[in-house]
Amino acid sequence: MMLWMGWGLCALLLFALYGQYLTGQADIFVSIANPRPLDEERMVVTLKGWGFASAAQLPFVTPEADHGLCDLRVFATRRQMLVAIATLGYLRPVTVAWRAHAGVQPLGVA
Amino acid sequence: MPIVQLGREGRWTNYHGTGTCEAATRFALRSGDAERGRDELAAAAREVREWLAAAQAAGRHVRPLGAGWSPSNINIASHCWLLHTRRFNRCFRIAGDDVRPGVDAASLMLVEAGALVDEVSDKLEAQGRSLWTSGAGNGQTFAGAAATGTHGSMVAHGGIQDHIRAIQIVTPAGAQWVEPTAGVMSDDFIAATGSQVVRDDALFAAAQLPVGALGVVTALVVSSVPRFLVRPIQNLRRVDRRALNWLSAGDFRRFSAAYALDRDPDFVQMIVNPYKPFKRPAMLRFLYREPWRDDYPRATPGELGAGYDALSLLGRLLDDYPWARGWLLQFSMKLGYAAGPDIQDPPVYGSWGEGLDTHRPLADLFNASVTIDRADLAYVFEQICGVYARHGGSTVVTLRFMERAQGLLAPARFAHNAVIDFDGPRSQRTADAYARVVERLDAEGIAFTRHWAKSCNLDAARVESDYGEDFRRWCAARDRLIPDPAHRRLFASDVLDGLGLTC
Repeated sequence: MMLWMGWGLCALLLFALYGQYLTGQADIFVSIANPRPLDEERMVVTLKGWGFASAAQLPFVTPEADHGLCDLRVFATRRQMLVAIATLGYLRPVTVAWRAHAGVQPLGVA
Repeated sequence: MPIVQLGREGRWTNYHGTGTCEAATRFALRSGDAERGRDELAAAAREVREWLAAAQAAGRHVRPLGAGWSPSNINIASHCWLLHTRRFNRCFRIAGDDVRPGVDAASLMLVEAGALVDEVSDKLEAQGRSLWTSGAGNGQTFAGAAATGTHGSMVAHGGIQDHIRAIQIVTPAGAQWVEPTAGVMSDDFIAATGSQVVRDDALFAAAQLPVGALGVVTALVVSSVPRFLVRPIQNLRRVDRRALNWLSAGDFRRFSAAYALDRDPDFVQMIVNPYKPFKRPAMLRFLYREPWRDDYPRATPGELGAGYDALSLLGRLLDDYPWARGWLLQFSMKLGYAAGPDIQDPPVYGSWGEGLDTHRPLADLFNASVTIDRADLAYVFEQICGVYARHGGSTVVTLRFMERAQGLLAPARFAHNAVIDFDGPRSQRTADAYARVVERLDAEGIAFTRHWAKSCNLDAARVESDYGEDFRRWCAARDRLIPDPAHRRLFASDVLDGLGLTC
């Protein structure tokens, strides 16, 4: 009986882990109401020590952001989720993608 | 108004992530702060011409890019110089003395090539005007959408390029202002843009749909109509097979009366599950045009049913579980389609621009279409669905309607067109199923064309046979606009060469 309960618990934990693997790849997308997007740019942010510290591979610079950002996406790739699972969550890489705003110019005269 | 280089040579990926330019050097053309639009255009023409000369000296091909929206590889070119125009996006009001006598200046607007369809809609609405048609999304640049013949499903209108009344095109030899023979803008205005005037119906018809091969389009004069409201009706209905005959005959009123309101619709769209298209409910969308009034209750794009162009849900499941495709597609249709407003719901209204959406990038998208003579619809539609489903096509099939569009290379080249789209998750099986549809139409002797911005596997021989004399006229116009073969080669890419547009 205990053995079956143990197997059941293992199966439950495996399902929970698989659920985390899938949901970790979800694409969180936030946009302003009237976007004028330029090309998408990305960087990877790696949370370390279960989120106590983070490090980006690139500094957050986007050359054409003088009109602000249109939208932002946060997601993990399959590989990033596998890294997170394999390190028991110690490393948690996520991809942050954003698009700068092209600017809204007033109507001029021809 | 500088052209600035963006970063180092590297990879560039298009909006929907369906194509990649390798080893591309990226540049951006930006709007300046000149007081008048004509001064902006003159400066831009100078800059672009110098940039083209520099590219030629560096031995690189060039590719102008708008929003990079096309899911096909039409804008993909590796080892080249890319010119992003998105920040060259000002719009300008046109005055009565800017145009030739008899031209209604109030209906026109000068648009820089990087302005999105959404921006053009906004600026027109601010002047009490509106576009009369556009594509399903509004995130393309107006110039880019026109360059590929983008369309929606306004049953009495053609493509978005029909709005264009004049075009400024820059080649290494200089800037040319292309208009119809009757003329639109005044000579003084054109001279102030630094352009040479070209008033010629044949050249204008070619330039309305240049497919990126006629030079760098820097500006457009866009025509408009007084702004109007649309009332959307959107529902899931099981469509009777006989209704195809009504659509085929253009009896949209009867179709509307059966499934929505008993009045003439301005926009009709039907999205079906190719697995039993007449047994499973189809997603229907109607738009009814109404006079403008300022006090209409504002609705969100979602409430207006925006974002109706594609479904890309459950892609992997559809590919992995072929036996469940019909059910899964129907399930995704229910999930992915904005609910209502149906006929029993309180009516909602919006302007033409408010009903469109700059949707988020759709990764892993398959996107193809065939445009047929509407009269052939009743005969071939079920065959198309049958072939597509039998070979494992895993997208919905969308039916749209439009009149003949302007431009020599406009895919909507029949007097009355039915456009059949296959939009959804990308998979090899779906691409193969679409190829079988093409084969079936050929076997049946049905004339059809394919959308430049979609993944339609065209080649030069097919383009030539599809467009016939119009293709030869387009090539002749190209050679007149860019007489020097070396200059024509500057705009070449593997894709455009393969289509016979730049050789």
